[in-house]
Amino acid sequence: MESLLEFAKGPMFRLSFAILILGLIRLIVLAVINGFEAKSRGKDKKIPKHYVRKLTWGFIIPIRSFRVKPFYSVVSILFHIGLIATPLLLWDHAWLFQQSIDIGWTGITLSHEVANWLTILTIVTGIILLILRASTFESRFLSRKQDFIWPILLIIPFVTGYICANSAIEPATYNAYMLIHVLAGNIIFILMPFTKIAHCVLMPLSQWVTARSWKFPPETGEQVAMSFGKENEEL
Amino acid sequence: MSEVQKDNQIKKMRVDEVPEMKYIIEKDRIYKGDRVSKFLEIFASVLKFSNYRPVLEQYIKVSAKCSRCSVACHVYQASGDPKDIPCYRSELLLSIYRRYFSVDSSMYGRIFGGFELTEEHIDQMADSFWKCTACRKCVLECPMGIDHGMLTHLARYIMAEMNMAPRALVISTREQLHGATKNTSAIPFVALQDSLEFLEEEIEEAHGVKVKFPIDVPDAEYIFFAPVSDYMMEAETLMGIAVVMHAAGASWTIGSKFYDAINYGLFYSDLVLGRVLRNMEDEVRRLNAKKVLIGECGHASRSATFLPTYWRGDDCPPVINIMELTHKFLKEGKIKLDPNVIGDRVTYHDPCNIARQNWVVEQPRDIIKAFCSDFVEMTPNRSEQYCCGGGGGTVSIDEIRKYRTLVGGRRKAKQIQDTGAHYVIAPCANCKKQFRELMEDNKVDGELVGLHDLIFKAIKMK
Repeated sequence: MESLLEFAKGPMFRLSFAILILGLIRLIVLAVINGFEAKSRGKDKKIPKHYVRKLTWGFIIPIRSFRVKPFYSVVSILFHIGLIATPLLLWDHAWLFQQSIDIGWTGITLSHEVANWLTILTIVTGIILLILRASTFESRFLSRKQDFIWPILLIIPFVTGYICANSAIEPATYNAYMLIHVLAGNIIFILMPFTKIAHCVLMPLSQWVTARSWKFPPETGEQVAMSFGKENEEL
Repeated sequence: MSEVQKDNQIKKMRVDEVPEMKYIIEKDRIYKGDRVSKFLEIFASVLKFSNYRPVLEQYIKVSAKCSRCSVACHVYQASGDPKDIPCYRSELLLSIYRRYFSVDSSMYGRIFGGFELTEEHIDQMADSFWKCTACRKCVLECPMGIDHGMLTHLARYIMAEMNMAPRALVISTREQLHGATKNTSAIPFVALQDSLEFLEEEIEEAHGVKVKFPIDVPDAEYIFFAPVSDYMMEAETLMGIAVVMHAAGASWTIGSKFYDAINYGLFYSDLVLGRVLRNMEDEVRRLNAKKVLIGECGHASRSATFLPTYWRGDDCPPVINIMELTHKFLKEGKIKLDPNVIGDRVTYHDPCNIARQNWVVEQPRDIIKAFCSDFVEMTPNRSEQYCCGGGGGTVSIDEIRKYRTLVGGRRKAKQIQDTGAHYVIAPCANCKKQFRELMEDNKVDGELVGLHDLIFKAIKMK
């Protein structure tokens, strides 16, 4: 058990984290390159910047979210706050980084109580999101298997982390929970760049890429027709 | 509570029975071979030569399947069919891209199988993408920024290249591009001239002023393009525009070689979009006009905003919607409106193509408030406005009228009824046709007018 835990916390974590960071950077870079390529291919270089900014910021600072489904929006926003803030600002995680690569942020971490409350908030809102997805007709119809699996997968590190941080348990049990905690985290990291969770970095770019793509290259229609030998054909 | 939140409190608009939505395709041009391979070939070609790859790469990665879009869709609200949820419809196209063309996901598909394109899937797309009116209200709600209207446009474009486009639109476009009359209603220019002369007489009778519709005037400041159906069916709108231009002393002209602002390419084909706009460019250059003025039509105005894309050269003139210009004249005091002429309640419909991205939203309201004492807004309004139900070219497809008015137009019918207005202003040629039909089919009282129809009644001519 302990060697497995050491492996999961050590080389496997390093690999997963690298896949996460490099994968997300790759996605951002590709999206930005694609957007600028769309700019160069499109003849009209002007895009409605104000509209793009308004819609982008409106969902990052999610003021626009409350327009429809306010309850769902509140739950989702709280879930995201807990999901992002807790692992990043947890003293234990910062301390681990400090030990490992001598860069840490132990000075700006959350207190134990606040971290606990945020963890519980994340777990509760995650479960509510899952229930909402299963109980709303439209969400149920649209959702794929991964849309139901993700909330469960995301909650696992929070549940196991809470247990490890707060319960008086035997070392063997502690190690077991910690192993699940780390493995779940690793799996999440590996999957993030390849699934919809990539929206964490891609969402801010959507409006801009869309605006660029509406500016068509002038010869598309003719070139497509030519590739099928139909350029002189009547409609 | 905001307009949008108030709107979402309103109970759903389910219809009891959904009429059939089946449009006619020209039989002799239907592609007879393997449609699956053809679809993929066309898709590959479009991706190679267009700007669609960046958005498709983006959308396949971020779609959260949260169903916020369903709340905004007027078609889904009325039909209750979950296949009308915008994200589901977009997924019909995105799953093809993901499986066959995406950089990342196609490898997964090749190893593990999963989605495969079939003839049934193509039939499903042919049905679904023409139920959407491409109004893009769903785009305002999608947190991931997926433009379902653009995907509707792209899917229709690929299908049109396989000759799977509604016959009504293809025939009109064929006449506009290759026919003798060069417009979608096949109206010969002499008929147009007769019509304009008649309108000049009507204007003189109504206002005691001789106003001319200037034809082929070189070097005018504005060259005017209206949806050609206006010339035959919306006489008062045109008369209103003519008196405004006359009262403001504006220099304008109509071109005899090309005068139809209708551009169905915006609905179903980038090829058609470009060709119609190039015809427009030729006419603008022929008469050496300084600015392009589009009449009361949403899609014509928005298509014309693609003029800088297709203009050969860097000196593309600005494109202006007539309501922007009338608003400018009003503010400058060049036109005067009598506030005592229109006493009835008035409401205003924002055409999707000019309001969704906040282009022409406040200008018509300022104009209306200048001379209509009883002006009531629909809920929601401005850029949140619901589609009339006939957008995306569906209004021109007569065989689907029942679907369009009873499902697509149901929301709009309710909105109109709730305002209790007598005059319903819809400054868009397509919306006007749709409104008349949906008010008839849904038994809604009221008179449908364009904005310049009322201006024609209220303008003070010297």
